[in-house]
Amino acid sequence: MNNQFAIHTEGFTKHYGGVHALVDLNIDIKAGEIFGFLGPNGAGKTTTIRTLLDEIRPTAGKASILGLDTHKQAVEIRKHIGYLPSDLALYPNLTGKDTLTFFANLRGGVDWSYVNSLAERLNADLSKKVGNLSSGNRQKIGLVQAFMSKPEIFIFDEPSSGLDPLVQREFQNMMREVVKKGSSVFLSSHTLSEVQNVADRVGIIRQGKLAAIESISELKSKAIRRIELDFDAPVEASVFEAISGVRDVVLENHHVVLSYDGKIEDMLRVVMDKYELLDIRTQEADLEEIFLAYYRREGAAA
Amino acid sequence: MMLSNIFTKSVRDRWKGTAIAFVSLMLLLLFAMSIYRNIDINIYQEMPEALKSIMGIPAGVNAGSLAVSVFLSGAGAWVLAGLTIASGSASIASEESNGTIGLLLGNPKSRTNILVSKAAAMLLLMGLLVTASWGCTYLIAGMLGVNMGGMSVGALSLHLFSVAIFHGFLAMAIGAWTGNRGTAAGITTGVMIVSIFAVGLLPLIEGWENLVKIFPWYYLNGSEPLFNGINWGHIGILWAGIVLFAVISVIGMNRRDLKSQNVGVTLLDRLRNYPMTQKIAARLAGSARVSRIWIKTFTEHQTLLVITGYVMLLTGMLIGVIYQFMPIETMANLFEEFPGAEVIIAAIGGGGGFSTPEGFFQLEIFGLMAPAALMVVGIMVGSRALSGEESRRTMGLLLANPIPRSKIIIEKSLTMVICAAVTGIATFLGVWLGSLFGGLGIDVGNIAATCLLVTLLGLVFGALALALSAATGNGRVAVFGSIGIALVSYMASSFLPLSENLAGFAKWSPYYYFLGSDPLFMGMNWGHVAILGGLALGLIALSVLLFQRRDLRDGG
Repeated sequence: MNNQFAIHTEGFTKHYGGVHALVDLNIDIKAGEIFGFLGPNGAGKTTTIRTLLDEIRPTAGKASILGLDTHKQAVEIRKHIGYLPSDLALYPNLTGKDTLTFFANLRGGVDWSYVNSLAERLNADLSKKVGNLSSGNRQKIGLVQAFMSKPEIFIFDEPSSGLDPLVQREFQNMMREVVKKGSSVFLSSHTLSEVQNVADRVGIIRQGKLAAIESISELKSKAIRRIELDFDAPVEASVFEAISGVRDVVLENHHVVLSYDGKIEDMLRVVMDKYELLDIRTQEADLEEIFLAYYRREGAAA
Repeated sequence: MMLSNIFTKSVRDRWKGTAIAFVSLMLLLLFAMSIYRNIDINIYQEMPEALKSIMGIPAGVNAGSLAVSVFLSGAGAWVLAGLTIASGSASIASEESNGTIGLLLGNPKSRTNILVSKAAAMLLLMGLLVTASWGCTYLIAGMLGVNMGGMSVGALSLHLFSVAIFHGFLAMAIGAWTGNRGTAAGITTGVMIVSIFAVGLLPLIEGWENLVKIFPWYYLNGSEPLFNGINWGHIGILWAGIVLFAVISVIGMNRRDLKSQNVGVTLLDRLRNYPMTQKIAARLAGSARVSRIWIKTFTEHQTLLVITGYVMLLTGMLIGVIYQFMPIETMANLFEEFPGAEVIIAAIGGGGGFSTPEGFFQLEIFGLMAPAALMVVGIMVGSRALSGEESRRTMGLLLANPIPRSKIIIEKSLTMVICAAVTGIATFLGVWLGSLFGGLGIDVGNIAATCLLVTLLGLVFGALALALSAATGNGRVAVFGSIGIALVSYMASSFLPLSENLAGFAKWSPYYYFLGSDPLFMGMNWGHVAILGGLALGLIALSVLLFQRRDLRDGG
């Protein structure tokens, strides 16, 4: 049953002393999917990944990758995984080439023509010692390392940190390509735009708990819009605040900025009853705002 | 001038090490005084002055002065100088290798400010340590009812403090000029070791006695401050050096380019850049080096191995040559007159003596130096094996590869065995060549047996460090835990046999299985080899179990 999932967790829980780093996490990631894992710093993203990789052990619950138990069959699982940790640390005295050779040897060899093509695409310098590289250039070595064994599962923890926009785009293309070939990607990030661009579904995690799992299109449809309105005369904030779905009203004389989730005509009807509307501008729903909204909702509920 | 924040941060970074050193020293002192109090030390009083001075035994000998001489001005001085060398060499160079120097100097503070704050922290911590030890020595003596009359521990403390600061500032000056912590610590430690040996051995050689005054270590005990009070001339010489090094540090620090990150350029890297040598160097430095975990780990420890191997080789040869200059007959006569003396020298020197070349090697090399070198190598490799990868946060990436945790332990243990073997072989070669050059005719098989046993002893403590690091992932616990146990076991094996009631307990110490069978005289004791080897293997197996069970640490 579990075999159909690339990654499957059941009641995955991790406590450190009294700290509940991860609480009852249930995720299923399908083969051939890019799963975005979003949350602010300290939400439990890295804890989830480290537990999946058997670096740390769950306090309760279990997980499987490609149907294999993440603890009992950890070594077997790692044959199928490409991993890039957050705040990547490498051996400073080795060159990029040495580093890749080392990890390639641990995997019993890789296709070097593929490695070189990866390095070329990311514009990675393999000849310098890793300790002398900037963090972005070091990150490229880490990415080549994750892709080079052509794994079935990719786990990326904040992969874009330090990368310039061009390389970020190339990295996104590479993710799309491997997914087309049937691999799956677990992409942990707080860079929402990146996830928005590539992910099929998104899990939002907060204080160790999964707040939601949604497809990108669903998320966008629920979107909160940011709306700017211009009127011919000064207006009162209370009129806007009374409308259900309206939040964060900022009033500046004739000009109003607000957040709204609901039907746009419902709001307009109320507003146009009272005032003369000169202009209206709406911004496309941004994951950033959805994300904040989820937090607000969760925070209010708690 | 003083940066209260950098100063207090430096103090905070280093107070733990200082406190641990203080507690260990005082425990050693307590242990030594209580043992000395229970044994008959009249023998010391009856010894002729010549012999006393050779053994570093003070004139007005009693349990107190003996313990203070051996453990404050002996081991204590090494520890203190070690601490100041660590902090002096790190003062600027470690900020550079951590990449924090840029941030630090991004604040409106000058390089001199930073250097002065770091130096002030060193002075304060060392001052506190010495003052506390001074007071505590009298406290321990009082507790045990040991008479400290006629002794000035305060004067000795001032000499100790000055010698330690001298070495710390020397390390700071070298670090300020080179920006390389390893170079600073290495050269200064070298100066210290050479100096300690010179002070111990030069006075024994006729006509060379005065040469000893060019070595800084001489100004620690040359005037016997414990009995004669402060020698202001000697203190003045040390402080003139300290001021000189301070000035050199400030100049060096201000004139050079700071390093952004400290990735060393090794000889292999240079060879890799020349067309002629490129191919072979690339194999050695690159593909061969990273082909296995154990080989890569081995290359990470090559500096340590080169230094310890070189020191052991040289000292072994040197001791062989020096033995010829020793007034052997005089000493043999002395021992005939005072048969008990050899027992006590043996306790301090691991069963050695002066009357035979074997005994002399045992005293100078195998008693303390060889086990110390092997333990340092074992403990460094063992403690870094896991906690090194964990604190550098490379363990996660390493274990994302399809290898079980046990493989990491086994491969890294293999590195530890090889490193210990290299050091053991260097020791063997040194002693063998020394015996050859000096025409001393020590049995080669016996030298090999002793070197094998000391290598296994180093491995036992290396494996202990590995097990501690496998259990906790904490490098400090691994290092201090294993060093602590090593010290206790050395003390137990050396001093418990002096007391009839306690002698049996010495067998609980791994150290006993190194020299307990007198391998340099008697040859191989396979039973003891099996015990030490089994202990090391057992600890490695335990490490595998412990490491399987726990969560990996993420940094720190």
